[in-house]
Amino acid sequence: MPIIEVANVRKDFMIAKRETGMMGALKSLIKREYIKKEAVKDISFSINEGEIVGYIGPNGAGKSTTIKMLTGILVPSSGDVLVNGIVPYENRQENAKSIGVVFGQRSQLWWDLPTIESFELLKEIYQVSNQRYKKNMDTFTDILGLDEFLNTPVRQLSLGQRMRADIAASLLHDPPILFLDEPTIGLDVVAKEKMRTFIKEINHERKITVILTTHDMEDIEKLCERMILIDHGMKVYDGEIAMIKERFGKIRTLIVDLEESPRSIQLLGGEVCKEEGNRYWIKFNRDEVSASELIAQITKTHSVKDLTVEEPAIESIISRIYQEGYQPLKA
Amino acid sequence: MAAIKYVNLYFKLVSAGIRAQMQYRFAFIMRIIGLITAYTGTAVTMWVMLYQFQVLGSWNFFEMLFLYAVAILSWGFCVILFLHFRSLDTYILNGTFDRFLVRPINPFFHFMAMKFDMASFGQFIFSLIIFIWVSLELHIEWSSGKVLFLLASIIGGILIQGGMLVLISAIAFWTTKSQQFYWVVMYPARNLTNYPLVIYPKIVQWIAAFVVPFGFVNYFPAAVILEKGTPFFPESIGYFSPLVGLVFFIIAYCVWMLGLSRYKSTGS
Amino acid sequence: MPRFHVYWIFTKKAFLRSAVYRFDVWSRLGSNLIFLLMWGSIWTALYAGREEAGGISFQAMLTYIIVSQFLTGVNGAGTPLWEIQEKVRTGDIALELMRPFNIPLRYLFADFGSVAFYIVTALLPIYAMLFIFMDFTLPADVFTWVSFIAAAFIGFLIRYCIEMSFGLLSFFLVETGGIEDIFYFAMSLLSGSVIPLWFFPEWLAKVAAYLPFQGIYYIPNAIFIGEIAGGEILLSIGLQIFWLIICYFLLRLVWNRASHKVVVQGG
Repeated sequence: MPIIEVANVRKDFMIAKRETGMMGALKSLIKREYIKKEAVKDISFSINEGEIVGYIGPNGAGKSTTIKMLTGILVPSSGDVLVNGIVPYENRQENAKSIGVVFGQRSQLWWDLPTIESFELLKEIYQVSNQRYKKNMDTFTDILGLDEFLNTPVRQLSLGQRMRADIAASLLHDPPILFLDEPTIGLDVVAKEKMRTFIKEINHERKITVILTTHDMEDIEKLCERMILIDHGMKVYDGEIAMIKERFGKIRTLIVDLEESPRSIQLLGGEVCKEEGNRYWIKFNRDEVSASELIAQITKTHSVKDLTVEEPAIESIISRIYQEGYQPLKA
Repeated sequence: MAAIKYVNLYFKLVSAGIRAQMQYRFAFIMRIIGLITAYTGTAVTMWVMLYQFQVLGSWNFFEMLFLYAVAILSWGFCVILFLHFRSLDTYILNGTFDRFLVRPINPFFHFMAMKFDMASFGQFIFSLIIFIWVSLELHIEWSSGKVLFLLASIIGGILIQGGMLVLISAIAFWTTKSQQFYWVVMYPARNLTNYPLVIYPKIVQWIAAFVVPFGFVNYFPAAVILEKGTPFFPESIGYFSPLVGLVFFIIAYCVWMLGLSRYKSTGS
Repeated sequence: MPRFHVYWIFTKKAFLRSAVYRFDVWSRLGSNLIFLLMWGSIWTALYAGREEAGGISFQAMLTYIIVSQFLTGVNGAGTPLWEIQEKVRTGDIALELMRPFNIPLRYLFADFGSVAFYIVTALLPIYAMLFIFMDFTLPADVFTWVSFIAAAFIGFLIRYCIEMSFGLLSFFLVETGGIEDIFYFAMSLLSGSVIPLWFFPEWLAKVAAYLPFQGIYYIPNAIFIGEIAGGEILLSIGLQIFWLIICYFLLRLVWNRASHKVVVQGG
C-alpha cells in the first residue's frame, strides 16, 4: 500500500539573470531580467509502506526541491502530492506530525545547549507523552549510544554523534516516514557503517518508510532495494537496484597481469581499453563472450600471472546513465 | 493546539534560548555595556546640541531626554522579543528556516520563541534611571492614571516597533533580504523619533503618524505626559498608542503569514 | 614597494561587484538621505529662524551638514566593520595571509572601488542636485576646492586606519560590542560629523582637538564652508597628516600582532 504518492509534479522558479562588464553592472542597477528555471518537470512515483528508497541525482537535479514538496515546505507548481493520506502543503502542521526530517548538513538541535535539552524541547513541540518519550529515549540510547554525549552541548559533538542525535530527534514522535538528506555526509567509515545499521534497524523493526538522498553510492547499495534516479528535474530510472545492475552489468572488465608485454593482444569478443606496464584491462559483453572463453584465448598465446573479472560498481553505472540517458527496456 | 499549550511551550522555548545565551557570559556582558554606551552616546549628543541652543522646537534637554527614554523603554522590550526577526533573511538563505516548517506548530510562534535577548534588560535599567532622573528634574507628578497611561503607551510602542520588525522580516519572503531593510527603514526611523516630531516637515510628521506610526511610540504619549502641544495633531492623539499598536501588529502578522505562503511557492 | 597594479585589480573587482548588490546602493542612499533630512531639520529647529548663531550663518551651517552627510556616505561605502570582523572569525583573513600582498592595503583598494561606484551612481547625482536647486554656499576659489578634496581624502584614510584596527581587534577579543559602541560614538560626535566643534562646550572641544576623529569630518567640512581658510587650511591638513601617520602606525601594529598570532597559533 503506497504511503507516498507523487503524480505529475512540476516546480518552476524565477531566477535573476546576471549581467557582465562595467556597462552591464550599471544597467543591472536599474533593471534586472529573470529566467524561468524548471527545477522539477513532471515527476511521478509512489512509495510503499516500509520501503527504503534511495532518491538520487547530481547537484541541482531537483532532489531537494522534491523533498521540500513532500515535507510541505514548498508548494508544487502543478501535480499532486499525498503523504500518508495528507496533502503536505495544504496541511503542513498535520503532515509534520507524520514525518521525521534530517538534513545532514544542518542540525535541527539547539546548538548551545546540552543535547538532552533538545530532546526535551522537541518532546514539547511534538507533544510526545512522557511514556512514549521515555520508551523511545531508552531505545535510541540503546542502539545509538546517546548516553555518551547527552550532557554535552550540541556544538561540541563530533559529526557522527551529532548525526545520531539528529536522527533520534527526528524519530521521537514515532513518524511513519523518515526523510534523510545526506545522512552520512562527512562521516568516517566506522560512523557511516553504524549509521547504516541503525537506519536498517529502524526500518525493519518499526516499519518506518525511509526516503534517502545521498551522494554516497555505498549508502544506496547497502540500504536500498529500490532507487529513483533523477536528472535535470526528470525521473530517469525507478526500480530495483538489482535490475539496473543486471542490465548495465553486462559490460565487464577482465584485468590480466602478463609475464611479458606483447606487442598487441588480439581477442575475439574482447577489447583492450587500458594498459599499464604488464597489466591489461579488457572490456567484454557477457552476452557475447563468457569470461572463461576469453581467459582461454589469452592463456593460449600468453603466460598469465594473475587475473580478475570486475563487475561495474553502481556508481559507474549511474554516471553512465547520466551521460548516455536511460532507455527503458521494451517489454 | 490549545492556547495554554502554546503559552507553556513559549516559556520552555524561551528559557532554552536564555540558557543558550548564558553560555556566552562575556559576550553577554559586553553587549549590555555596548547598549548602554550607545544610548549614553545619543544622550550626550543631545546635551552637546542643546548646550548653546537651549531648546529644540520648544523642547528642552530634559524633555528630550524623557522623549528618548520612552522610546528606548519600549524598544528594549521589543529587542528582547522581536529583534531576531530582522535576520530572517539569513535563516532563509542558509536553509535553517526550513526547520521551522517541518514542525507541527505555528512557524511565526516558533520563530519568535527561538530567541529571547536577555541583554536588553540592560536598556530597561538604563531607561528607568533616566526616567527617574528626568521625573525629578521636571517635577512630574506620577498619578496612578499617568502610570497606567505610560504602561499602555509602552505596550503600544512595543507592538508598533515589534510589528515593524515583523513587517521588515516578511520582506525577506519576497526579496530574501531583511537585515538591510532594517538598516534602511527601521534604524533611521528610530533615530528620527529620538527627536520631537514637530521639527520635521509636515509630510514626515504625517507619515510618522499614519503610515509608519512611530510617532505613537514616544512623541504623542510623551507630549501628553509633559503637557506639551503637538502642532498639526489633536491634543488627545497620544491616547491612541495601544490601539494603533494592536492594529499595526495584527496587520504585520497577516503580512508575515502571507509572505510565508509566498515563500512556500517560490522557495529561496 | 608594493606593486600597485595588483591592488588596482581589487579596486576594479570591487567596482564591478558593487553593481551586483544594487540593493545595497539604493538602501544606503535611502538611509543617508533620511539622516540628512533628520540633521537638516534639527539644525533648522535649533536656529529657529535666526540668520546666524555663534558667528555661523544658518546657510553655512546647513551646508556644513550636507557636506558632512555626503562624506558620511563616502566613508560608509567601503567594507563595513562587521564584515571585517566576520572575515576574522571565519578565518578568511588568516587564509589571505598566504597571498603575496599586504592585506590592509588590499582592502583599502577594494574600498576605493566600491566607494567610487557609490559616488558615481548615487551620491554625486543626488548631492549635485541639492546644490543646484537649493541655495548653499559653494567654495568660490579652486584652492579651497582642492584643499577640501585633499582633506576629505585624508579624512577617509584616517577613518579607514582606525576602523580597520578596530575590525582586527576581533583577532584578540571574541566580543567587541562595548568598544565598538565607544568607537561609533566617537566617530559621530567627536568627529564633528553632526555638531561642529565650535558649538561644543569648551572642555569637550579641547578633548576633540586632541583626538584624530576631527580629521575625518570636521576639518574637510569646515574648509568647505570657509570656516577654516587661508593659512589655517595648510595647518589643518598638516594636522590631518600627522594623525594619519599615527593611525597608520596603529594599524600596522595591530596588523603585525594579528598576523603574528595567526602564524604562531593558527588564528
